[in-house]
Amino acid sequence: MKLADLQDMFQRGLMSGDQEGAGQPAILDEVNTSDKEQKDVLFGVYQNAYVLRLIEFLQGDYDLLETYLGDEGFDEMARAYIAVHPSTSHNARWFGTGLPDFLKNTAPWSGLPQLAELAAFDKALLDSFDAADALHFTPEDMAGVTDFPGLVLHSHPACFRLDLKTNAAAIREALQEEHEPPALEMLEEPQKWLFYRSADMQSMYRQLGYEEAMVWDEMVKGVNFAGLCEILAHYSNEEEAPMQAAGYLQNWMAADLLMKA
Amino acid sequence: MYMNSEKPKYLGFGLGLRTEHYGDILGDDPGSAAAIDWFEIISENYMVPGGRPLYMLDQIKERYPLVMHGVSLSIGSTAPLNMDYLKELQKLEKRVQPKWLSDHICWTGVHGKNMHDLLPVPYTEEALEHMAGRISQVQDFLGRSIALENASTYVTFKSDAMTEWEFVGELAARTGCMLLCDINNIYVSSFNHGFDPVTYLEAMPKQAVVQFHLAGHTNNGTHIIDTHDHPVVDEVWELYGKAVQLFGEVSTMIERDDNIPPLKDVVVEMERARTMSKDILGANV
Repeated sequence: MKLADLQDMFQRGLMSGDQEGAGQPAILDEVNTSDKEQKDVLFGVYQNAYVLRLIEFLQGDYDLLETYLGDEGFDEMARAYIAVHPSTSHNARWFGTGLPDFLKNTAPWSGLPQLAELAAFDKALLDSFDAADALHFTPEDMAGVTDFPGLVLHSHPACFRLDLKTNAAAIREALQEEHEPPALEMLEEPQKWLFYRSADMQSMYRQLGYEEAMVWDEMVKGVNFAGLCEILAHYSNEEEAPMQAAGYLQNWMAADLLMKA
Repeated sequence: MYMNSEKPKYLGFGLGLRTEHYGDILGDDPGSAAAIDWFEIISENYMVPGGRPLYMLDQIKERYPLVMHGVSLSIGSTAPLNMDYLKELQKLEKRVQPKWLSDHICWTGVHGKNMHDLLPVPYTEEALEHMAGRISQVQDFLGRSIALENASTYVTFKSDAMTEWEFVGELAARTGCMLLCDINNIYVSSFNHGFDPVTYLEAMPKQAVVQFHLAGHTNNGTHIIDTHDHPVVDEVWELYGKAVQLFGEVSTMIERDDNIPPLKDVVVEMERARTMSKDILGANV
């Protein structure tokens, strides 16, 4: 048998390990018998490792989701994810990145909208943790700005925004503190969350007010300082808008949320 | 081709770098970490855009020699070489400046999928030729010889036309690649397939062997699984002793990937290897 055919057959055997009624994998015909053990048991070492390793990756990335769903519930969900999202990356880090979307779009989990948002919360923390490095925009940079109205600010690559429509954040907090999580609640207004990386390289998050989130989101789109002031002016006193915008800028700069252009 | 590249210098005794030990390694009190001569990193753990993983790695690199150990090169796969992976690997290599890079004699997937496992290759002339060609391609791309490790295996194939040690030796001879001899893996495979592990060791080309791995495993009675979640067992220590007799001073490290104990406990195992090596080589001088 050609090497390519053998590998194709081996991989099919691995991936069929979790399918009901898949029967004996054809690769067993190509495997030597062993004096000590049945060859399906020996091939089963690879089959089991395939699924268990991928589940382990998901457990590592979404540990609070596992706490929330329980071992059995998480295992069932993970196996369903693995069946439709086999790993296509050379790095395990990226295997679970599709989980929030999977939970949002796949029944029965899509019927519990807090699940996708719990996963999205953890994914944002992970993404912030190892996002690209970049120089921060500092007070020294600010001192060199000559055209304030035209100043375009840039979000640091480790910053991510998330809007939550459920009380997933409260559920998550309860899980973290090992309390009974509250029941699902659909929020009247989405909560605005910002994820970022602290100076000591830890992932952080905080809830933004409606106005700050709006200004942040517009900044990310490339709206300059004058434009941000205009937007703020619609929501508050026109004369105070530049001071408010400057206040946000100062706070973001102090928290290392901005990137040097 | 890197047929005559110089063998890297002996590094002494090291450990696989694990995040659980960062605090001890970088703390003000060197403690157990002072005994460690070098670290092996899992390349893929640091093939990320930035942030804490690379930040910590840069600090550790300032204090210790590093070698890079990958799990996704998939050198035995019939899928095309993943050039994106190789470019990322090269980028990390430039940052880390490792003493050498290694991966496994295995394949990890075909058809664009990654099984995230070290899958067995048949020991055939076709596989040998295929893998030798790819090793040379990788070495040409990186501009240096790479080291390849024997993986633990649980099945062998009817199409096998040679022994594993013949296959590994021939790979080294055809490509000039170096060998990372995993003593535990030799033991695991010898148990699973019923061969003499010393015969395997004796067949390894001495000049090519640059590194030893020592690790624990799980014995299921009828077969052993390479789990890296236990201390090294006596049988593997015994085989390590034989390896030291055969190969002399070879950079040696303890691999622990699960149930990771405190650093001091892994250092105790590492020191056992150092003492054994010293005793054996001292007696042979």
